Amino acid sequence: MATFLPKEAGETEKGYKPIGWDGMTLREMLETSERLFAETGRYWGIEELTLKEKDPIRYEKIFAKLRGGLVNARETAMNISASPIVQELGELCFAFYTPEGDSVALSTGIIVHVHTMSDAIKFMIRNDYELNPRIRPGDIFSNNKPSIGDAHNADVQTFVPIFWEGELIGWAGGVTHVTDIGASTPGNVPVGPISSYEDGLDLTANKVGENDILYQDHEIRCEMGVRTPMFWKLDERTRVAGCHMIRYAVERIIQGEGIDTFKRFIREAIEEGRRSFIHRVKELLIPGKYFAVTFVDLPLEGEMGLPDYAAVDRLSHAPHELTIGPNGEFHISFDGASKWGYHSFNCPPSAMQGAIWVLLTQTMIPNDKVNDGAYLATTHFFPPYTLANPVVKEAATGAAWGFLIPAFTGLIRSLSRGLFARGYLEEVLSSYAMTMNAMQGGGKDQYGRETGILSFELSAVGTGARSVLDGVDYAAAMWNPEGNMGDIEVWELVIPLMYLGRSVKPNTAGPGKYRGGSGFQSLYAIWKSLDIVMQNAGDGNVFPAPGIFGGYPAAAGYRHNVLGADLLKRFEEGREYPTKENDPGDSEISRLCEGKHLFDKRTLNYPYRMNHGDIYYSWYRGGGGLGDPLERDPALIEEDLNNDILLPRYALSIYGAVARQDENGRWVVDREATEKKRAEIREERGRIAIPVFQFLTEERERILKGDIALKVRRMYNESIELSTEWGNWFKSFWNLPPDFRFSEDE
Amino acid sequence: MQSGREPRIIAIDAGGTMTDTFIIDRNGEFVVGKAQTTPEDESLGFMNSSKDALSYWGMDVKEAFPAIVTGIYSGTTIINRLLQRKGRKVGVIVSKGMEDYFRLERGEQTYLGYSYSDRLHVCTHQHNPPLVPRNLVKGVPERIDCFGDVAIPLQKEEAKKAILELLDEGVEAVCVNLLFSYRNPTHELQIKEMAQELIRERGLDVEVYTSSEYYPMRCDFPRANTLVIEAAYAEPSRVHMRNIDARVKEEGGKFDLRIMASHGGTISLEAKDLARTLISGPIGGVIGARWLMDKLDIENAFCTDIGGTSFDLAIITSKEYDIKPYPDIARTLLAIPLVETDSVGAGTGSFIRINPTSGRIEIGPDSAGYLIGTSWPEGGVDTPTINDCDVALGLINPDYFLGGEIKLDKERAIAEIERQIAKPLGIGVYEAASGVVELFEETLKNEVFARILGKGYAPLNYTLLSYGGGGPLHVGGISEKMGFEDVLVPTWAAGFSAFGCACSDFEYRFDASLDLPILPGLPDDAKEGLVAMINAKCASLRERLITEFSKSGVDESKISFTVYLRMQYLGQLRDLEVNTGKEWISGAKDLNEAIDAFEELYSKVYARAARSPELGHLITHVIMAGKTDVEKPNIPLEPLSGEDPPSEAAKGTRKVYRKGQWLEASLYEMGLLKAGNTIKGLSIIESPSTTFVVPPGASAYLNEHLIFHLKTQ
Repeated sequence: MATFLPKEAGETEKGYKPIGWDGMTLREMLETSERLFAETGRYWGIEELTLKEKDPIRYEKIFAKLRGGLVNARETAMNISASPIVQELGELCFAFYTPEGDSVALSTGIIVHVHTMSDAIKFMIRNDYELNPRIRPGDIFSNNKPSIGDAHNADVQTFVPIFWEGELIGWAGGVTHVTDIGASTPGNVPVGPISSYEDGLDLTANKVGENDILYQDHEIRCEMGVRTPMFWKLDERTRVAGCHMIRYAVERIIQGEGIDTFKRFIREAIEEGRRSFIHRVKELLIPGKYFAVTFVDLPLEGEMGLPDYAAVDRLSHAPHELTIGPNGEFHISFDGASKWGYHSFNCPPSAMQGAIWVLLTQTMIPNDKVNDGAYLATTHFFPPYTLANPVVKEAATGAAWGFLIPAFTGLIRSLSRGLFARGYLEEVLSSYAMTMNAMQGGGKDQYGRETGILSFELSAVGTGARSVLDGVDYAAAMWNPEGNMGDIEVWELVIPLMYLGRSVKPNTAGPGKYRGGSGFQSLYAIWKSLDIVMQNAGDGNVFPAPGIFGGYPAAAGYRHNVLGADLLKRFEEGREYPTKENDPGDSEISRLCEGKHLFDKRTLNYPYRMNHGDIYYSWYRGGGGLGDPLERDPALIEEDLNNDILLPRYALSIYGAVARQDENGRWVVDREATEKKRAEIREERGRIAIPVFQFLTEERERILKGDIALKVRRMYNESIELSTEWGNWFKSFWNLPPDFRFSEDE
Repeated sequence: MQSGREPRIIAIDAGGTMTDTFIIDRNGEFVVGKAQTTPEDESLGFMNSSKDALSYWGMDVKEAFPAIVTGIYSGTTIINRLLQRKGRKVGVIVSKGMEDYFRLERGEQTYLGYSYSDRLHVCTHQHNPPLVPRNLVKGVPERIDCFGDVAIPLQKEEAKKAILELLDEGVEAVCVNLLFSYRNPTHELQIKEMAQELIRERGLDVEVYTSSEYYPMRCDFPRANTLVIEAAYAEPSRVHMRNIDARVKEEGGKFDLRIMASHGGTISLEAKDLARTLISGPIGGVIGARWLMDKLDIENAFCTDIGGTSFDLAIITSKEYDIKPYPDIARTLLAIPLVETDSVGAGTGSFIRINPTSGRIEIGPDSAGYLIGTSWPEGGVDTPTINDCDVALGLINPDYFLGGEIKLDKERAIAEIERQIAKPLGIGVYEAASGVVELFEETLKNEVFARILGKGYAPLNYTLLSYGGGGPLHVGGISEKMGFEDVLVPTWAAGFSAFGCACSDFEYRFDASLDLPILPGLPDDAKEGLVAMINAKCASLRERLITEFSKSGVDESKISFTVYLRMQYLGQLRDLEVNTGKEWISGAKDLNEAIDAFEELYSKVYARAARSPELGHLITHVIMAGKTDVEKPNIPLEPLSGEDPPSEAAKGTRKVYRKGQWLEASLYEMGLLKAGNTIKGLSIIESPSTTFVVPPGASAYLNEHLIFHLKTQ
């Protein structure tokens, strides 16, 4: 229990009047709400949606007013921000919460935050902020700590409590994705931190202002703590202004509808959201267990400057099991996930919730009515001490998305199997593409100012293949369906890099009967910066975007940067210079540029110095394929060849398509020869195929002998040790002895 | 003149389905004509619509056209060409490495124009057919960097190769759009010169367009789109417009037809950059409102236009409307200034459904459009619409829709609302219909309120102006309890957009990106240097204005120039437009005044607390607008009669369901009311083109200008 903080002379805890409803403290309200939910399975035990049923029109009108207020706050406030992330990509969101911290309605924008801010409000309530530091009209609170309630540290949240006649009636919450968070390495998904003490600026649900004004000491602290104080300052003003606009909107609704109706409305809206979600699950999916797995690559071995316990080459395990019950139950478990680690990819439960909701709103519930009711309709298991729930305080979380993005392709595939089984063919998607490479860096920009760099053009990667069409090329991000590369001239004004080209990248899409959406590539010269470090972050050794129903995975990443490049000389002499890489097997960068080529699978690394005229290459991934590539229509293969989506040498090996160029250089697929070739491939498949039983026996032998890469063995051992249940399942599947462990010999 | 009439101004708004003509005479009396739009040759629709309008005055075009002094046209030719990708074969030269512009579409064009739900719903996203096929886009080695410095010198041999390849392909125009050409156009101009030379050598008729000459604006992709639209779709449409002009001349017209442009002015059809006439339909009403504000001395107005498919809104503060420098139309990002209008997917034709999952009511976003709803069986619509509710409730007279041209089936509307809406909600059919209408009006009300708040004002500071076919029907519900300063409904609400075109200035506007920083605390003498840079830009824009006006024989002395500056805080990305009210920035004092005006505007639009002058300022764009006097409509002026409407205007009564009860509404014929009359609610005032509902407790006074003032509770 917090020590009571008097606000007026003579005020004592005894005479204190709680701010919750009906004389309750917020903590009592929260506990009552949770108890009633546990007892009845319904939000606040609400049995009948009396307001909605008696007067459906009025109910809708109140909802329209509330949501209108949120959208308006977002649209207006976003113009204050300076960062391209907020302005061009709309990475901000506002929401209204009940006094106990359950979201009632959200604005447009990053819907990741359906539940993250809820956790932060509940944290304040559980820690008796009501008594100390007190929650009063005009107060401002701020949080960015994922272990308290956030997706990652760069999503900074602001909260403003809304009062009506002495009672707390709810909270306005706003979040923006900031440009730099002051971590041990620059940027907003910093790959540098190996413990939470290096994650950068920590706002642990702090009170940061009162009487609608931010505290001076808070502002000074933040300006000192981040690399881009100007962006920070305007982003914070964006959030505060938006929250104040929401407060005004809510006060108007209460004036019009009366406080009792409003109180009833916010609870019914959540209960109704819960019921709608269940209804939707029943409508779209088939009960049962859906299982999918992905792997996350963390190749940090040999990274200079890291302690030996952090400089390890890791592979992380991200299995999930989705259970759909006969009454619309939706349970997701990450049992078997790998252990948390000394890197910044750890994901507290709020971050996991962020990923779940951003995906469900793109697929099952793409509407403007989602709220915490949907959260309450689901259950989850995020096993403790894993990447999916590190528990320990020291776990760094700055780049939580580095785990979330690859880990959640499984959820999409699971949903797709359910949708397919139910007959919703048009809704089926294969794995979305990784929003990688994440080009990050920092130092001095072209104007000599301190800067953090992250180009958000990575928000426009390929989508997964659809069951009736190819995926959408270079268009969307798993965390934001409204992808936007931004204008080159806008980026070049903000970051000290000059584009040499931005183009379609061949062979990035996962092949299939329908292929995934293609990725693209950007080639940059470091430009007019005297002091800059850069890094790559992305997948390299594994395929995090697998195909579905026989489709192939999308290509995994690699790095190709050039230090000490001879670009400037080439410019001066009027010689040819690279504008893309296209085919790494016949690289234009290698051909047209001399220097130290960092051309390898080190797709995750620490920042290193680059100089004016060096080359940085960033290519963005494609989505997974769907269906057997041998079933792909030759006309589509022709189109892909002529549009640089597919490299000619893979037409035959993957698709069995016999293609040649006509006199104009256009690719033509010989239908007849292709039919023949495909028949041969099928025959060959039959020839090399072995019975499943034999396959399992052979694989079991490999397991017993430890004939598997060391990091894979380590990964499975971790899962076995962390979860008895998962370990037993694994051992029983492979028929292994009860005390089985992989050998970890080199 | 036979009829004794002297028509002075004609304005034509060719929409997707109908062409509206608005003709006004010397006394401010007007007629509205309608005819079907004829996309293959818009001059046919134009003439038919004109004939229809003039028939009300018993005139024909040969008689009327010679008297007309001003003619304004707003059409759909360019946008139709764009949508159908029917244009000239255009080749594009870009900075090497950028050849995939039109395929990548910045990612963003895959969901532009979608409803919110579909924007989230990722499997619905799709690319557009490329504006220019990849084989007609050539990269040339060169680069200008963000400071305007030459980073990579232009490799001329490569440029020549690219030009020749395009000419070999048989292109009809070449567009050059290089990175940062708005800061330094050298490379674009060099390529242009080379291209013109090669074209001459080959004896070809191919035009060369450079982005720095046409649209010197930051943002390379919208700029590329705009330049291509100019060359591929706008230029060939000029012939269409000349056809219309020729028809006018054939019929004895002596006026030059001017075209409504996106910035709110009208320009000659011989204007160099015609793509700016791509979008003009929805802004006509805003221009008309702006004109009314002058006549009636209104400071702030909020324009609402309710049509069949959408609700269009615009806000005019201190007699200035907002300009959007990078709008999008037809899923295409553009770099032309557009009068800012917002469109909400809710109109009188919007479908109403009950979501099967949540059991909640959904209005739109799709609509029956001109097919009205289930109340018009011939339209083949099976889902109820807002129109159906209006019919069911007795608000719309089923026998007098479009003056009785279309007969509506009230019983069918009631049956469908009952089956599809009322039953699932478990309420009565009339309760459901009136609830839906209330919800519809509430939604629109929120949109209006949000935008006024967004400006930092309250409704009390604004006059609400309602027009469009559905405006007068719902204006009572929208304005109720909002506390507007005044609510105006012109009797010509249905033709207000066409009327608005007639009110526009003959005005060119040229924008240019500048990106000039003004550091905090900069002393005035240092500011003089900045002023010189601004004026250098102004001078070149002024030259363009003078050249364009001279095409219409307007002398420099007849042009009034105004400088606008778009400004932001240094480091920010969104700018605001400041009207300096001056012809030149003549010194540090003028610049300081512009900065003060920006600060004032900023604190209104966002919040005082969000002001950040400590960051310094950035002048992003310099804009030069020039206009010349043209004849505009006179406002109608009628002698005032008494408060009571004449008996011939009364059409009896009708039962109307409203908020849980049946009420008796008095009916009037709009055209027979006299200026000075006051109509008390509940009343319904009908005309062939619209229905005006005066709610219970409200009253509508028809003023001497034939505009209703609606007073609600």
